[in-house]
Amino acid sequence: MFLLSFFRVIKFSFQDIGRNIWLSVITITILILALFSVNMLLTVNMISNSAIEAVKEKIDVILYLKEDAEEDKAAALKIKISNLSQVKEVSYISKAEALKSFKLKHRDNPEILEALRELGKNPLTPSLVIKPQNADDYQALMDSLSGIDDDIIESRNFDDHKSMLEKINSITDKISEVGVFISFIFVLITLLLVYNSIRVAIYTHRREIKIMRLVGASNWFIRAPFLFSSIIYTLAGILSIIIIYYFFLSLLQPYLETFFIGYDINLLTYFKDNFVFIFGLQFIISLIVNVVASLFAVGKYSKV
Amino acid sequence: MIKLINISKIYPPNIAALRKINLHIKPGEFVSIVGQSGTGKTTLVKTLIGEEKVSGGKIIIGGWDITNIGRREVPFLRRQIGVVFQDFKLLDKKTLFENVAFALQVCGQTAKKIRNIVPHVLKIVGLEGKMKRYPYEISGGEQQRVVIARALVHRPKILLADEPTGNLDSINAEEIIELLQKINKFGTTIVLVTHNREAVNRLRKRVITLDKGTVSGDQAVGKYIL
Ligand SMILES: Nc1ncnc2c1ncn2[C@@H]1O[C@H](COP(=O)(O)OP(=O)(O)O)[C@@H](O)[C@H]1O
Ligand SMILES: [Mg+2]
Repeated sequence: MFLLSFFRVIKFSFQDIGRNIWLSVITITILILALFSVNMLLTVNMISNSAIEAVKEKIDVILYLKEDAEEDKAAALKIKISNLSQVKEVSYISKAEALKSFKLKHRDNPEILEALRELGKNPLTPSLVIKPQNADDYQALMDSLSGIDDDIIESRNFDDHKSMLEKINSITDKISEVGVFISFIFVLITLLLVYNSIRVAIYTHRREIKIMRLVGASNWFIRAPFLFSSIIYTLAGILSIIIIYYFFLSLLQPYLETFFIGYDINLLTYFKDNFVFIFGLQFIISLIVNVVASLFAVGKYSKV
Repeated sequence: MIKLINISKIYPPNIAALRKINLHIKPGEFVSIVGQSGTGKTTLVKTLIGEEKVSGGKIIIGGWDITNIGRREVPFLRRQIGVVFQDFKLLDKKTLFENVAFALQVCGQTAKKIRNIVPHVLKIVGLEGKMKRYPYEISGGEQQRVVIARALVHRPKILLADEPTGNLDSINAEEIIELLQKINKFGTTIVLVTHNREAVNRLRKRVITLDKGTVSGDQAVGKYIL
Protein backbone atom coordinates (compact mmCIF):
# COMPACT_ATOMS: atom_id res chain seq x y z
CA MET A 1 0.00 0.00 0.00
CA PHE A 2 2.84 2.38 0.81
CA LEU A 3 4.64 1.38 -2.34
CA LEU A 4 1.47 1.87 -4.34
CA SER A 5 1.08 5.40 -2.99
CA PHE A 6 4.74 6.03 -3.59
CA PHE A 7 4.42 5.17 -7.27
CA ARG A 8 1.32 7.32 -7.57
CA VAL A 9 3.17 10.21 -5.95
CA ILE A 10 5.93 9.85 -8.52
CA LYS A 11 3.40 9.73 -11.31
CA PHE A 12 1.58 12.83 -10.09
CA SER A 13 4.88 14.59 -9.69
CA PHE A 14 5.88 13.94 -13.30
CA GLN A 15 2.44 15.18 -14.33
CA ASP A 16 3.14 18.43 -12.44
CA ILE A 17 6.40 18.92 -14.21
CA GLY A 18 4.88 18.08 -17.56
CA ARG A 19 1.97 20.43 -17.16
CA ASN A 20 4.21 23.36 -16.36
CA ILE A 21 7.00 22.22 -18.60
CA TRP A 22 8.41 25.66 -19.42
CA LEU A 23 8.50 26.76 -15.86
CA SER A 24 10.21 23.50 -14.99
CA VAL A 25 12.77 24.04 -17.74
CA ILE A 26 13.50 27.58 -16.53
CA THR A 27 13.83 26.41 -12.95
CA ILE A 28 16.27 23.69 -13.90
CA THR A 29 18.20 26.12 -16.11
CA ILE A 30 18.69 28.57 -13.26
CA LEU A 31 19.72 25.73 -11.03
CA ILE A 32 22.30 24.76 -13.64
CA LEU A 33 23.59 28.35 -13.78
CA ALA A 34 23.88 28.40 -10.02
CA LEU A 35 25.79 25.15 -10.03
CA PHE A 36 27.94 26.35 -12.89
CA SER A 37 29.00 29.44 -10.98
CA VAL A 38 29.77 27.34 -7.93
CA ASN A 39 31.93 25.01 -10.00
CA MET A 40 33.62 27.96 -11.68
CA LEU A 41 34.51 29.25 -8.27
CA LEU A 42 35.94 25.89 -7.38
CA THR A 43 37.91 25.78 -10.61
CA VAL A 44 39.34 29.26 -10.18
CA ASN A 45 40.36 28.39 -6.66
CA MET A 46 41.98 25.23 -7.81
CA ILE A 47 43.87 26.95 -10.61
CA SER A 48 45.05 29.79 -8.42
CA ASN A 49 46.17 27.41 -5.71
CA SER A 50 48.20 25.48 -8.23
CA ALA A 51 49.59 28.74 -9.59
CA ILE A 52 50.61 29.89 -6.14
CA GLU A 53 52.15 26.54 -5.34
CA ALA A 54 54.00 26.65 -8.61
CA VAL A 55 55.35 30.11 -7.93
CA LYS A 56 56.30 29.19 -4.39
CA GLU A 57 58.13 26.10 -5.62
CA LYS A 58 60.14 28.30 -7.92
CA ILE A 59 61.09 30.98 -5.52
CA ASP A 60 64.28 29.95 -3.93
CA VAL A 61 65.77 32.84 -2.15
CA ILE A 62 69.18 33.62 -3.48
CA LEU A 63 71.91 35.46 -1.61
CA TYR A 64 74.54 36.67 -4.06
CA LEU A 65 78.00 36.70 -2.56
CA LYS A 66 80.91 38.92 -3.40
CA GLU A 67 82.90 37.76 -6.36
CA ASP A 68 85.98 37.14 -4.25
CA ALA A 69 84.21 35.60 -1.29
CA GLU A 70 86.31 32.80 0.19
CA GLU A 71 84.87 29.35 0.20
CA ASP A 72 85.27 28.77 3.95
CA LYS A 73 83.59 32.05 4.78
CA ALA A 74 80.77 31.08 2.48
CA ALA A 75 80.58 27.67 4.17
CA ALA A 76 80.32 29.35 7.59
CA LEU A 77 77.52 31.58 6.33
CA LYS A 78 75.77 28.56 4.87
CA ILE A 79 75.77 26.82 8.25
CA LYS A 80 74.54 29.94 9.95
CA ILE A 81 71.61 30.19 7.52
CA SER A 82 70.87 26.47 7.72
CA ASN A 83 70.28 26.92 11.42
CA LEU A 84 67.42 29.35 10.82
CA SER A 85 64.14 27.65 11.61
CA GLN A 86 62.46 28.85 8.40
CA VAL A 87 65.11 27.29 6.21
CA LYS A 88 64.85 23.86 4.74
CA GLU A 89 67.98 23.63 2.70
CA VAL A 90 70.87 25.80 1.67
CA SER A 91 73.16 25.05 -1.20
CA TYR A 92 76.30 26.82 -2.24
CA ILE A 93 76.77 27.59 -5.88
CA SER A 94 80.33 28.43 -6.76
CA LYS A 95 81.34 30.75 -9.57
CA ALA A 96 82.14 27.79 -11.81
CA GLU A 97 78.88 26.04 -11.08
CA ALA A 98 76.97 29.22 -11.70
CA LEU A 99 78.61 29.57 -15.07
CA LYS A 100 77.89 25.99 -15.95
CA SER A 101 74.19 26.26 -15.23
CA PHE A 102 74.07 29.64 -16.94
CA LYS A 103 75.49 28.08 -20.09
CA LEU A 104 73.07 25.19 -19.83
CA LYS A 105 70.13 27.51 -19.42
CA HIS A 106 71.11 29.56 -22.45
CA ARG A 107 72.38 26.73 -24.63
CA ASP A 108 69.86 27.62 -27.31
CA ASN A 109 70.84 31.23 -27.36
CA PRO A 110 74.09 31.64 -29.31
CA GLU A 111 74.16 35.44 -28.90
CA ILE A 112 74.38 35.25 -25.14
CA LEU A 113 76.96 32.52 -25.29
CA GLU A 114 78.97 34.56 -27.78
CA ALA A 115 78.84 37.61 -25.52
CA LEU A 116 80.05 35.48 -22.65
CA ARG A 117 82.98 34.23 -24.68
CA GLU A 118 83.94 37.75 -25.71
CA LEU A 119 83.95 38.78 -22.08
CA GLY A 120 86.78 36.30 -21.57
CA LYS A 121 86.16 35.68 -17.87
CA ASN A 122 83.48 34.36 -15.59
CA PRO A 123 81.25 37.30 -14.75
CA LEU A 124 79.02 35.41 -12.35
CA THR A 125 79.15 35.59 -8.61
CA PRO A 126 78.93 32.69 -6.18
CA SER A 127 75.62 32.42 -4.37
CA LEU A 128 73.67 30.65 -1.63
CA VAL A 129 70.36 29.18 -2.76
CA ILE A 130 67.94 28.91 0.12
CA LYS A 131 64.82 26.77 0.09
CA PRO A 132 62.23 27.85 2.61
CA GLN A 133 60.87 25.31 5.05
CA ASN A 134 57.35 26.45 4.33
CA ALA A 135 56.51 28.75 1.48
CA ASP A 136 53.91 30.48 3.60
CA ASP A 137 56.32 32.00 6.10
CA TYR A 138 58.29 33.53 3.34
CA GLN A 139 58.06 36.88 5.04
CA ALA A 140 59.61 35.55 8.25
CA LEU A 141 62.46 34.06 6.24
CA MET A 142 63.12 37.42 4.57
CA ASP A 143 63.17 39.12 7.93
CA SER A 144 65.61 36.60 9.38
CA LEU A 145 67.86 36.84 6.35
CA SER A 146 67.86 40.60 6.52
CA GLY A 147 69.08 40.26 10.09
CA ILE A 148 72.19 38.37 9.05
CA ASP A 149 75.10 40.64 8.39
CA ASP A 150 78.18 39.36 6.71
CA ASP A 151 80.52 41.33 4.54
CA ILE A 152 80.72 38.63 1.90
CA ILE A 153 77.05 39.22 1.03
CA GLU A 154 76.85 41.18 -2.17
CA SER A 155 73.12 41.64 -2.44
CA ARG A 156 69.86 40.27 -1.16
CA ASN A 157 67.27 41.12 -3.65
CA PHE A 158 64.06 39.34 -3.01
CA ASP A 159 61.42 41.99 -3.13
CA ASP A 160 59.94 41.09 -6.50
CA HIS A 161 59.14 37.56 -5.31
CA LYS A 162 57.10 38.97 -2.54
CA SER A 163 55.16 41.36 -4.73
CA MET A 164 54.47 38.61 -7.24
CA LEU A 165 52.99 36.37 -4.56
CA GLU A 166 50.96 39.26 -3.25
CA LYS A 167 49.66 39.99 -6.72
CA ILE A 168 48.51 36.42 -7.31
CA ASN A 169 46.93 36.31 -3.89
CA SER A 170 45.04 39.53 -4.39
CA ILE A 171 43.79 38.52 -7.84
CA THR A 172 42.55 35.16 -6.68
CA ASP A 173 41.02 36.69 -3.57
CA LYS A 174 39.10 39.09 -5.76
CA ILE A 175 37.96 36.34 -8.12
CA SER A 176 36.83 34.29 -5.15
CA GLU A 177 34.91 37.22 -3.71
CA VAL A 178 33.11 37.86 -6.98
CA GLY A 179 32.51 34.13 -7.38
CA VAL A 180 31.02 33.78 -3.93
CA PHE A 181 28.81 36.77 -4.60
CA ILE A 182 27.59 35.44 -7.97
CA SER A 183 27.01 31.97 -6.55
CA PHE A 184 25.08 33.45 -3.68
CA ILE A 185 22.87 35.44 -6.05
CA PHE A 186 22.19 32.35 -8.14
CA VAL A 187 21.37 30.28 -5.08
CA LEU A 188 18.91 32.98 -4.03
CA ILE A 189 17.34 33.08 -7.49
CA THR A 190 17.11 29.29 -7.47
CA LEU A 191 15.37 29.39 -4.13
CA LEU A 192 12.83 31.91 -5.39
CA LEU A 193 12.28 30.10 -8.67
CA VAL A 194 11.76 26.71 -7.11
CA TYR A 195 9.38 28.32 -4.66
CA ASN A 196 7.51 29.92 -7.53
CA SER A 197 7.44 26.78 -9.66
CA ILE A 198 5.95 24.79 -6.84
CA ARG A 199 3.48 27.58 -6.17
CA VAL A 200 2.36 27.56 -9.80
CA ALA A 201 2.23 23.78 -9.82
CA ILE A 202 -0.02 23.90 -6.79
CA TYR A 203 -2.14 26.57 -8.43
CA THR A 204 -2.65 24.51 -11.59
CA HIS A 205 -3.57 21.55 -9.40
CA ARG A 206 -5.84 23.42 -7.03
CA ARG A 207 -8.93 21.52 -8.06
CA GLU A 208 -7.21 18.16 -7.65
CA ILE A 209 -5.88 19.24 -4.28
CA LYS A 210 -9.31 20.31 -3.13
CA ILE A 211 -10.79 17.01 -4.25
CA MET A 212 -7.98 15.09 -2.58
CA ARG A 213 -8.60 16.92 0.68
CA LEU A 214 -12.33 16.36 0.59
CA VAL A 215 -12.14 12.67 -0.22
CA GLY A 216 -9.66 12.11 2.61
CA ALA A 217 -6.23 11.87 1.00
CA SER A 218 -3.52 12.22 3.62
CA ASN A 219 -1.54 15.43 3.85
CA TRP A 220 1.52 13.43 2.99
CA PHE A 221 -0.03 12.24 -0.22
CA ILE A 222 -1.11 15.74 -1.21
CA ARG A 223 2.27 17.32 -0.53
CA ALA A 224 4.63 14.58 -1.54
CA PRO A 225 4.31 15.05 -5.32
CA PHE A 226 5.42 18.67 -5.05
CA LEU A 227 8.36 17.81 -2.84
CA PHE A 228 9.19 15.03 -5.21
CA SER A 229 9.13 17.49 -8.11
CA SER A 230 11.77 19.55 -6.37
CA ILE A 231 13.90 16.43 -5.99
CA ILE A 232 13.52 15.80 -9.70
CA TYR A 233 14.59 19.40 -10.41
CA THR A 234 17.66 18.84 -8.29
CA LEU A 235 18.54 15.57 -9.98
CA ALA A 236 18.05 17.05 -13.44
CA GLY A 237 20.18 20.06 -12.49
CA ILE A 238 23.03 18.01 -11.06
CA LEU A 239 23.09 15.54 -13.95
CA SER A 240 23.13 18.40 -16.45
CA ILE A 241 25.89 20.27 -14.66
CA ILE A 242 28.05 17.16 -14.52
CA ILE A 243 27.76 16.73 -18.27
CA ILE A 244 28.08 20.43 -19.06
CA TYR A 245 30.98 20.98 -16.72
CA TYR A 246 33.00 18.04 -17.95
CA PHE A 247 32.50 19.31 -21.44
CA PHE A 248 33.56 22.80 -20.34
CA LEU A 249 36.63 21.46 -18.56
CA SER A 250 37.79 19.44 -21.52
CA LEU A 251 37.59 22.64 -23.59
CA LEU A 252 39.50 24.58 -20.95
CA GLN A 253 42.20 22.01 -20.28
CA PRO A 254 44.35 22.60 -23.41
CA TYR A 255 44.51 26.34 -22.70
CA LEU A 256 45.50 25.70 -19.13
CA GLU A 257 48.19 23.34 -20.25
CA THR A 258 49.77 25.88 -22.55
CA PHE A 259 49.48 28.53 -19.89
CA PHE A 260 51.01 26.44 -17.12
CA ILE A 261 53.64 24.63 -19.16
CA GLY A 262 55.60 22.22 -17.06
CA TYR A 263 53.21 22.26 -14.13
CA ASP A 264 50.96 19.43 -13.31
CA ILE A 265 47.56 21.00 -13.46
CA ASN A 266 44.75 18.79 -14.62
CA LEU A 267 41.26 19.95 -13.83
CA LEU A 268 39.55 16.93 -15.35
CA THR A 269 41.51 14.58 -13.13
CA TYR A 270 40.92 16.85 -10.19
CA PHE A 271 37.15 16.76 -10.74
CA LYS A 272 37.21 13.04 -11.44
CA ASP A 273 39.19 12.25 -8.31
CA ASN A 274 36.92 14.34 -6.15
CA PHE A 275 33.73 13.52 -8.05
CA VAL A 276 31.72 12.15 -5.16
CA PHE A 277 32.75 14.94 -2.84
CA ILE A 278 32.26 17.82 -5.28
CA PHE A 279 29.01 16.77 -6.90
CA GLY A 280 27.67 14.89 -3.91
CA LEU A 281 28.02 18.00 -1.80
CA GLN A 282 26.42 20.12 -4.51
CA PHE A 283 23.57 17.63 -4.79
CA ILE A 284 22.95 17.68 -1.07
CA ILE A 285 23.07 21.46 -0.84
CA SER A 286 20.79 22.02 -3.86
CA LEU A 287 18.46 19.37 -2.54
CA ILE A 288 18.23 21.18 0.78
CA VAL A 289 17.67 24.52 -0.96
CA ASN A 290 14.99 23.09 -3.24
CA VAL A 291 13.19 21.07 -0.64
CA VAL A 292 13.15 24.02 1.75
CA ALA A 293 11.74 26.25 -1.00
CA SER A 294 9.04 23.77 -1.93
CA LEU A 295 8.21 23.05 1.71
CA PHE A 296 7.54 26.75 2.15
CA ALA A 297 5.43 26.89 -1.02
CA VAL A 298 3.48 23.77 -0.14
CA GLY A 299 2.95 24.94 3.42
CA LYS A 300 1.66 28.25 2.23
CA TYR A 301 -0.40 27.34 -0.81
CA SER A 302 -1.66 23.79 -0.52
CA LYS A 303 -4.33 24.52 2.04
CA VAL A 304 -6.94 24.88 -0.72
CA MET B 1 -24.75 10.02 14.53
CA ILE B 2 -24.11 13.78 14.54
CA LYS B 3 -24.26 15.77 17.76
CA LEU B 4 -23.72 19.49 17.85
CA ILE B 5 -23.58 20.91 21.36
CA ASN B 6 -23.70 24.67 21.70
CA ILE B 7 -21.44 25.29 18.74
CA SER B 8 -20.60 28.74 17.58
CA LYS B 9 -18.29 29.96 14.87
CA ILE B 10 -16.82 33.42 14.66
CA TYR B 11 -14.82 34.30 11.57
CA PRO B 12 -12.19 36.95 12.04
CA PRO B 13 -12.55 39.78 12.78
CA ASN B 14 -15.93 39.19 14.43
CA ILE B 15 -18.42 37.72 11.99
CA ALA B 16 -20.64 35.37 13.98
CA ALA B 17 -21.63 32.73 11.40
CA LEU B 18 -23.02 30.21 13.93
CA ARG B 19 -24.40 31.04 17.38
CA LYS B 20 -24.93 28.34 19.98
CA ILE B 21 -26.37 25.67 17.73
CA ASN B 22 -27.66 22.45 19.29
CA LEU B 23 -28.60 19.61 16.98
CA HIS B 24 -28.85 15.88 17.14
CA ILE B 25 -29.10 13.90 13.92
CA LYS B 26 -29.74 10.17 14.28
CA PRO B 27 -28.24 7.41 12.13
CA GLY B 28 -30.17 6.90 8.91
CA GLU B 29 -31.96 10.24 9.06
CA PHE B 30 -32.57 12.43 6.03
CA VAL B 31 -32.30 16.03 7.19
CA SER B 32 -32.76 19.14 5.10
CA ILE B 33 -31.18 22.38 6.22
CA VAL B 34 -32.73 25.52 4.81
CA GLY B 35 -32.29 29.22 5.41
CA GLN B 36 -31.48 32.45 3.67
CA SER B 37 -28.05 32.85 2.24
CA GLY B 38 -25.42 34.01 4.67
CA THR B 39 -27.06 32.29 7.64
CA GLY B 40 -24.24 29.82 8.18
CA LYS B 41 -25.37 26.65 6.38
CA THR B 42 -22.12 26.12 4.52
CA THR B 43 -20.16 27.01 7.64
CA LEU B 44 -22.07 24.30 9.48
CA VAL B 45 -21.17 21.73 6.81
CA LYS B 46 -17.51 22.81 6.92
CA THR B 47 -17.31 22.34 10.67
CA LEU B 48 -18.66 18.81 10.26
CA ILE B 49 -15.77 17.80 7.99
CA GLY B 50 -13.07 19.53 9.99
CA GLU B 51 -12.50 22.22 7.39
CA GLU B 52 -13.40 24.94 9.88
CA LYS B 53 -12.77 24.75 13.60
CA VAL B 54 -15.61 25.89 15.83
CA SER B 55 -15.06 28.82 18.18
CA GLY B 56 -17.05 27.20 20.96
CA GLY B 57 -19.08 24.07 21.71
CA LYS B 58 -18.58 20.45 20.84
CA ILE B 59 -19.06 18.28 17.75
CA ILE B 60 -19.41 14.54 18.05
CA ILE B 61 -19.71 12.35 14.97
CA GLY B 62 -20.38 8.64 15.40
CA GLY B 63 -19.11 8.88 18.97
CA TRP B 64 -15.92 10.62 17.88
CA ASP B 65 -15.32 14.06 19.36
CA ILE B 66 -13.95 16.00 16.42
CA THR B 67 -14.09 19.43 18.04
CA ASN B 68 -10.33 19.76 18.22
CA ILE B 69 -9.47 17.27 15.52
CA GLY B 70 -5.79 17.27 14.51
CA ARG B 71 -4.62 17.79 10.96
CA ARG B 72 -3.48 14.20 10.70
CA GLU B 73 -6.87 12.86 11.71
CA VAL B 74 -8.91 14.95 9.27
CA PRO B 75 -8.35 12.55 6.33
CA PHE B 76 -9.80 9.70 8.39
CA LEU B 77 -12.87 11.79 9.19
CA ARG B 78 -13.29 12.67 5.51
CA ARG B 79 -13.23 9.00 4.53
CA GLN B 80 -16.27 8.48 6.73
CA ILE B 81 -18.24 11.46 5.46
CA GLY B 82 -19.08 11.94 1.82
CA VAL B 83 -19.39 15.56 0.72
CA VAL B 84 -20.99 17.18 -2.29
CA PHE B 85 -20.54 20.91 -2.80
CA GLN B 86 -22.10 23.02 -5.44
CA ASP B 87 -18.67 24.03 -6.72
CA PHE B 88 -16.97 20.75 -5.97
CA LYS B 89 -16.33 19.78 -9.55
CA LEU B 90 -15.00 16.98 -11.68
CA LEU B 91 -11.62 16.93 -13.38
CA ASP B 92 -12.13 17.74 -17.06
CA LYS B 93 -9.29 15.64 -18.40
CA LYS B 94 -10.38 12.45 -16.72
CA THR B 95 -13.21 10.13 -17.73
CA LEU B 96 -16.06 9.53 -15.33
CA PHE B 97 -14.41 6.28 -14.29
CA GLU B 98 -11.09 8.03 -13.70
CA ASN B 99 -12.75 10.83 -11.78
CA VAL B 100 -14.28 8.42 -9.33
CA ALA B 101 -11.18 6.25 -9.27
CA PHE B 102 -9.08 9.31 -8.39
CA ALA B 103 -10.75 9.52 -4.97
CA LEU B 104 -9.67 5.97 -4.25
CA GLN B 105 -6.18 6.27 -5.73
CA VAL B 106 -5.25 9.23 -3.60
CA CYS B 107 -6.29 7.30 -0.52
CA GLY B 108 -3.98 4.44 -1.40
CA GLN B 109 -6.51 1.88 -2.63
CA THR B 110 -5.31 -0.95 -4.83
CA ALA B 111 -6.13 -1.09 -8.51
CA LYS B 112 -8.15 -4.22 -7.92
CA LYS B 113 -10.39 -2.58 -5.34
CA ILE B 114 -10.77 0.42 -7.58
CA ARG B 115 -11.95 -1.79 -10.42
CA ASN B 116 -14.59 -3.24 -8.12
CA ILE B 117 -15.83 -0.13 -6.35
CA VAL B 118 -15.99 2.40 -9.19
CA PRO B 119 -18.49 0.56 -11.43
CA HIS B 120 -20.51 -0.22 -8.33
CA VAL B 121 -20.97 3.41 -7.25
CA LEU B 122 -21.49 4.57 -10.83
CA LYS B 123 -24.24 2.00 -11.05
CA ILE B 124 -25.89 3.38 -7.92
CA VAL B 125 -26.08 6.80 -9.56
CA GLY B 126 -27.27 5.28 -12.85
CA LEU B 127 -24.21 6.05 -14.97
CA GLU B 128 -22.71 2.61 -15.38
CA GLY B 129 -23.07 2.90 -19.16
CA LYS B 130 -21.14 6.18 -19.45
CA MET B 131 -17.98 5.36 -17.53
CA LYS B 132 -15.66 6.15 -20.42
CA ARG B 133 -17.15 9.55 -21.18
CA TYR B 134 -15.56 12.86 -20.25
CA PRO B 135 -17.40 15.42 -18.07
CA TYR B 136 -18.11 17.72 -21.02
CA GLU B 137 -19.88 14.86 -22.77
CA ILE B 138 -22.62 14.57 -20.15
CA SER B 139 -25.30 16.88 -18.72
CA GLY B 140 -25.00 19.00 -15.59
CA GLY B 141 -27.32 16.67 -13.72
CA GLU B 142 -25.22 13.69 -14.71
CA GLN B 143 -22.07 15.50 -13.65
CA GLN B 144 -23.56 16.11 -10.24
CA ARG B 145 -24.41 12.41 -10.03
CA VAL B 146 -20.78 11.54 -10.74
CA VAL B 147 -19.80 13.88 -7.92
CA ILE B 148 -22.19 11.99 -5.66
CA ALA B 149 -20.77 8.68 -6.84
CA ARG B 150 -17.31 9.94 -5.98
CA ALA B 151 -18.54 10.91 -2.51
CA LEU B 152 -19.71 7.33 -2.01
CA VAL B 153 -16.48 5.48 -2.75
CA HIS B 154 -15.50 5.10 0.89
CA ARG B 155 -19.02 3.85 1.76
CA PRO B 156 -19.59 6.78 4.10
CA LYS B 157 -22.11 6.61 6.93
CA ILE B 158 -22.93 10.26 6.34
CA LEU B 159 -23.40 12.16 3.10
CA LEU B 160 -23.35 15.96 3.26
CA ALA B 161 -24.74 17.75 0.22
CA ASP B 162 -24.43 21.54 0.15
CA GLU B 163 -26.85 22.86 -2.47
CA PRO B 164 -26.28 19.96 -4.85
CA THR B 165 -29.11 21.15 -7.08
CA GLY B 166 -28.08 24.79 -7.09
CA ASN B 167 -27.05 24.87 -10.74
CA LEU B 168 -29.62 22.42 -12.09
CA ASP B 169 -33.02 22.80 -13.71
CA SER B 170 -36.00 21.38 -11.84
CA ILE B 171 -36.10 18.01 -13.58
CA ASN B 172 -32.43 17.34 -13.00
CA ALA B 173 -32.74 18.67 -9.46
CA GLU B 174 -35.57 16.26 -8.77
CA GLU B 175 -33.50 13.36 -10.00
CA ILE B 176 -30.68 14.31 -7.67
CA ILE B 177 -33.05 14.45 -4.70
CA GLU B 178 -34.41 11.04 -5.69
CA LEU B 179 -30.88 9.70 -5.84
CA LEU B 180 -30.19 11.03 -2.35
CA GLN B 181 -33.33 9.31 -1.12
CA LYS B 182 -32.18 6.07 -2.67
CA ILE B 183 -28.79 6.38 -0.94
CA ASN B 184 -30.61 7.16 2.29
CA LYS B 185 -32.57 3.90 1.91
CA PHE B 186 -29.25 1.99 1.98
CA GLY B 187 -28.83 3.40 5.50
CA THR B 188 -26.63 6.43 4.83
CA THR B 189 -27.44 9.50 6.91
CA ILE B 190 -28.13 12.42 4.57
CA VAL B 191 -27.73 16.09 5.38
CA LEU B 192 -29.04 18.19 2.51
CA VAL B 193 -28.53 21.94 2.42
CA THR B 194 -30.86 23.42 -0.14
CA HIS B 195 -32.82 26.35 -1.46
CA ASN B 196 -35.18 24.09 -3.37
CA ARG B 197 -38.60 24.73 -1.87
CA GLU B 198 -40.55 22.09 -3.84
CA ALA B 199 -37.97 19.41 -3.13
CA VAL B 200 -38.08 20.03 0.60
CA ASN B 201 -41.84 20.08 0.70
CA ARG B 202 -42.15 16.88 -1.32
CA LEU B 203 -39.56 15.02 0.78
CA ARG B 204 -41.70 15.18 3.93
CA LYS B 205 -38.64 14.66 6.10
CA ARG B 206 -37.04 16.59 8.95
CA VAL B 207 -36.32 20.23 8.12
CA ILE B 208 -33.98 22.46 10.13
CA THR B 209 -34.21 26.17 9.45
CA LEU B 210 -31.24 28.42 10.17
CA ASP B 211 -31.58 32.13 10.69
CA LYS B 212 -28.61 34.43 11.28
CA GLY B 213 -26.56 31.58 12.65
CA THR B 214 -29.19 30.13 14.98
CA VAL B 215 -31.68 27.31 14.62
CA SER B 216 -35.05 29.00 14.14
CA GLY B 217 -37.04 25.91 13.25
CA ASP B 218 -36.73 22.12 13.51
CA GLN B 219 -39.70 20.06 12.35
CA ALA B 220 -39.90 16.29 12.03
CA VAL B 221 -41.98 16.51 8.86
CA GLY B 222 -41.07 19.95 7.78
CA LYS B 223 -41.94 22.48 5.18
CA TYR B 224 -39.80 25.11 3.59
CA ILE B 225 -40.95 28.20 5.39
CA LEU B 226 -39.12 31.48 4.98
N1 LIG C 1 -14.00 32.23 5.31
C1 LIG C 1 -14.82 33.18 5.80
N2 LIG C 1 -14.29 34.27 6.38
C2 LIG C 1 -15.09 35.24 6.88
N3 LIG C 1 -16.41 35.19 6.86
C3 LIG C 1 -17.01 34.14 6.29
C4 LIG C 1 -16.25 33.08 5.73
N4 LIG C 1 -17.09 32.15 5.23
C5 LIG C 1 -18.33 32.61 5.48
N5 LIG C 1 -18.29 33.81 6.10
C6 LIG C 1 -19.45 34.59 6.57
O1 LIG C 1 -20.17 33.78 7.45
C7 LIG C 1 -21.55 33.94 7.23
C8 LIG C 1 -22.18 32.61 6.90
O2 LIG C 1 -21.71 32.16 5.63
P1 LIG C 1 -22.14 30.78 5.00
O3 LIG C 1 -21.92 29.73 6.00
O4 LIG C 1 -21.45 30.64 3.70
O5 LIG C 1 -23.69 30.99 4.75
P2 LIG C 1 -24.71 30.19 3.80
O6 LIG C 1 -24.04 28.94 3.35
O7 LIG C 1 -25.88 29.95 4.66
O8 LIG C 1 -25.04 31.10 2.68
C9 LIG C 1 -21.69 34.97 6.13
O9 LIG C 1 -21.91 36.22 6.75
C10 LIG C 1 -20.36 34.93 5.45
O10 LIG C 1 -20.05 36.19 4.91
MG1 LIG D 1 -23.69 28.22 1.34
